[in-house]
Amino acid sequence: MSAIRTAGLVKTFRTGFWMRPVEAVKDVSLDVKAGEIFGFIGPNGAGKTTTIKMLTGLVVPSAGEAWLRDVPVHDPNSRARLGFLPEGTFFHDYLSAREFLDFHGALLGIPKDVRRERIPKLLERVGLAQAADRQIRRYSKGMRQRAGLAQALIGEPEIVILDEPMSGLDPLGRKDVRDVILSLRDEGKTVFFSSHILEDAEVICDQVAIILSGRLVRQGYLDELLGQEMVGSELVVEAIPEALFYELQGSAARAIVQGGRFLFEFGAEGDAEKALDKVRACGGRIRSFVPRRKSLEDLLLEGLHQEKAR
Amino acid sequence: MIPLQRIGVLALNTYREAVRDKLLYNLLLFAALMIASSILLAQLQIGKDERIYRDVGLGAIAFFGVLIAIFVGINLVYREISTKTVYTMLSKPVRRWEFLVGKYAGLLSLLAVEVALMSACFIGVLVWKGSGFDVGLLWAIVLIYLELALVTAIAIFFSSFTTPYLAGMFTVALWIVGHLLADLRAFGQHSDVPGLRALLETLYWTLPNLDRMDFKADASAGNPIAAARAGMAALYAVLYSAGLMMGAMLLFQRRDFR
Repeated sequence: MSAIRTAGLVKTFRTGFWMRPVEAVKDVSLDVKAGEIFGFIGPNGAGKTTTIKMLTGLVVPSAGEAWLRDVPVHDPNSRARLGFLPEGTFFHDYLSAREFLDFHGALLGIPKDVRRERIPKLLERVGLAQAADRQIRRYSKGMRQRAGLAQALIGEPEIVILDEPMSGLDPLGRKDVRDVILSLRDEGKTVFFSSHILEDAEVICDQVAIILSGRLVRQGYLDELLGQEMVGSELVVEAIPEALFYELQGSAARAIVQGGRFLFEFGAEGDAEKALDKVRACGGRIRSFVPRRKSLEDLLLEGLHQEKAR
Repeated sequence: MIPLQRIGVLALNTYREAVRDKLLYNLLLFAALMIASSILLAQLQIGKDERIYRDVGLGAIAFFGVLIAIFVGINLVYREISTKTVYTMLSKPVRRWEFLVGKYAGLLSLLAVEVALMSACFIGVLVWKGSGFDVGLLWAIVLIYLELALVTAIAIFFSSFTTPYLAGMFTVALWIVGHLLADLRAFGQHSDVPGLRALLETLYWTLPNLDRMDFKADASAGNPIAAARAGMAALYAVLYSAGLMMGAMLLFQRRDFR
């Protein structure tokens, strides 16, 4: 069953004095299966947030259709089992996290006794139990993000949409958010999140879609998209003669000197194998050799080249 | 969950947010000072003490009430949009009209408390000075409240589609014009400029005529106020406010939150 589905979604905004039309999202069709983690990837301004706003009822599509659990998004009931964390964590910051969650729980029609029971658990889960009664305006950015995440989960949603949930967080905060996303999948929930941080998406997503200039350029399961083929390798060596460095530099895509170490990046053509042999033959030390598979970054760059070629 | 419950939750949150606004307390303090100042002003006019207490008291309730309705009202709706707090609310199964009605209900509750507090201050002055409180004054205060409800509906109408600055300017302009409509109409009837008479006549019948709710002069002078006339004024305010809220809902329904 599809948790989120869109068909030919288009959004055109009118901007400026002359109301010039600007197409922010062009013919986006997505299919997110229930229980998956879906990464919506693209650079800033690619149309991720506009698409998410159409899914969450904040922006009206200019054309096309979208459904949450097969209910059209123009029907407010489509959002009955939706949890949403908007980008930037904007809250009623005069409230404490406990009051904030209570307000959003009440908006969802959760009875008071259930809210009273659920809120402390949720605050514990996102690591805000100690600061539950402090006003949100006194929170750090990471704490605000956690409060926002708790808000998205207060209704025990089936679908969780997170817009740039790791943006602006330190590495520890990013890891915490990643752990929450993974635990949501373990609970059988569907998580749809947007990000321009490719490493995060690559680590946790089942499926990804790449959007560039409002247009979807790739969509599919990570294994299928990235494949198993090697696209290059990275070699770090020490104690090689200067002449060999210049020789290897000629065949490498990139060569960097780091103190007494030499780093070479090779393409997929087999130059790395020859380089390894030459280093061994001259008595150099091999510090590391890492074959590199295709990454989301490669996919994104391919997409960018295709977009430029249009 | 039925819409009424959601509206109640939104109204309560709006009320809570408004009572944390320092501007509200500053305006209420000034209103109380102005009402109390009627005691000093009365000493300057020999023999008209009671009239001055009533004039200044009702005037202060109306004036500061409008300031609160416009500035707190516009801010409350627009702040939800500009600070994007509206995102987490409207991404729940909340209808947009429920959001606006919830905001309006919260503001009406706030205005009711605020008018009650200023009226208590006003009645305190009257009782202290041995002056009576009659039904005419009660009608005047009720209609001040309904005028505030109408001004708030105007503020919500404008803030549903424009910036707080423009919404504030439009609302203040409409409040001023709303009190001058009878004069403008009379001016048009005596004018020779082609089309001006028709224009001012149209404005008279379409813009909110706030003078209809103004019973302050009669109440101050102790003139009897006919219940039918006051009732019609109240009905006018309620229907006009409802019309404006419907317009705001229609505009808000298609609004994109970018």
